[in-house]
Amino acid sequence: MTALRMLLMVILQAFILRDVTPFGEWTRPEWALWALLLVPPQASPFLKLLSGFAMGTALDIALGTYGQHMVAGTALGGALPALHRLFSPREGYEVTDRPTLQDMGSSWLIGFTLSAAVLYHLVLMVVSNWYWHLLPSAILPSLTSAAFTTMCCVVLHMMVYSPDRRNPTH
Amino acid sequence: MRNLWLLLQRNAFTIAFIALMAVSVSVLLRNNGAARSSWFQKTGAVSSMVEAQRHEWSNYLHLSEQNVQLAAENAALRSQLLSMNMADTWREDTLLGWSVRSGMLIKGPDGKPHTLSLATPGRTEGITQGMGVLAGGAAFGTVEEVGEGHSRILTLLHSGTAWSCRIGKGGPVASLGWDGRDINVLQLNDVPRHVQATPGDSVFTSGYDLRFPPNVLLGTVIDSERKPGADFMKVSVASAVDFNATQHLEFIIHRADSERVVLAQPELQP
Repeated sequence: MTALRMLLMVILQAFILRDVTPFGEWTRPEWALWALLLVPPQASPFLKLLSGFAMGTALDIALGTYGQHMVAGTALGGALPALHRLFSPREGYEVTDRPTLQDMGSSWLIGFTLSAAVLYHLVLMVVSNWYWHLLPSAILPSLTSAAFTTMCCVVLHMMVYSPDRRNPTH
Repeated sequence: MRNLWLLLQRNAFTIAFIALMAVSVSVLLRNNGAARSSWFQKTGAVSSMVEAQRHEWSNYLHLSEQNVQLAAENAALRSQLLSMNMADTWREDTLLGWSVRSGMLIKGPDGKPHTLSLATPGRTEGITQGMGVLAGGAAFGTVEEVGEGHSRILTLLHSGTAWSCRIGKGGPVASLGWDGRDINVLQLNDVPRHVQATPGDSVFTSGYDLRFPPNVLLGTVIDSERKPGADFMKVSVASAVDFNATQHLEFIIHRADSERVVLAQPELQP
């Protein structure tokens, strides 16, 4: 399911949502992150790492960026176990907990998604620019893009996992 | 082996992360010109620095081998040089027939008037009593005793010796000795009063003592002292050899040395 979701989001980002950038480089969202961040916190660290690597590879193939998303995806996949530990509730994750708005709450979701998005966008910024003198001017657009990605992910969560869709009778 | 396996198991996630990151970065470098250029610029600087450092260490570690090699090469060249007639053109003169072999000083003079020095090699490598010894191309002393692997050297810094030499290549012969005071200053005695000895003039061996070929540098004139009414004057000479720093020596021998020694013996003279 995770793989299918990831594939779908990569295709959507590459072919449909690619140009959804309201303020140009200041708001360049990474839609596929939503699928990656849906990997359950209880999953094995290797699964998280491989998911990040796979998402980056798929994005590179679809977008023709040759390695930039691979590096950023691997970095995020490697950091996901630590991020999950960092944002874990005091009593730990329940077996049935999923990283969604309903299960984890809005503050957890926004904090976790924003941290992951900031990491991903910063790594992407470094590998896109490479030269030290280009990095200062790219930091702010990366941070705003990370915030925009977070917003998009939350909207997707609300759309896909809305309480109305779960309980249509209410 | 088992510990290695446990270590790998314990760090499997880190290893997997590094491996995947390496794959990603290699894909990036292969396909992104700016990244590749920046990467090679940075790693090139680092690798050249590392290589320069490694080269420096390697040179330092091989210094002693190179020194030995250079000393042997020096000895061969000096053999060749001494076998040439230097007064004329650079033409080899087989009649001069000097040969040189390299050696190492293992105990140098300590500044006392009667100190002897020790050096390698000894008899096993063809060193014989009476050979002249050079250091850096200048006269150092002569072989006094020979053991199997070591030789005892009587240096210029021995107050009981006298060395036949001359000021300049054409000056009259005089004897050089040491008064046992200053390790860097030798004394040239019995220099005829009329000889011009100005500071900076070179003092060479005369070749008459059969230990050294003629015109081997001994030192340079520092000062001359003329006493009123005396026929001879005393000249102070700065030794060309730094006795405190000498390490490599060259033993010189004439190819017809035994014949020369026999003919020079007083009982054979008329």
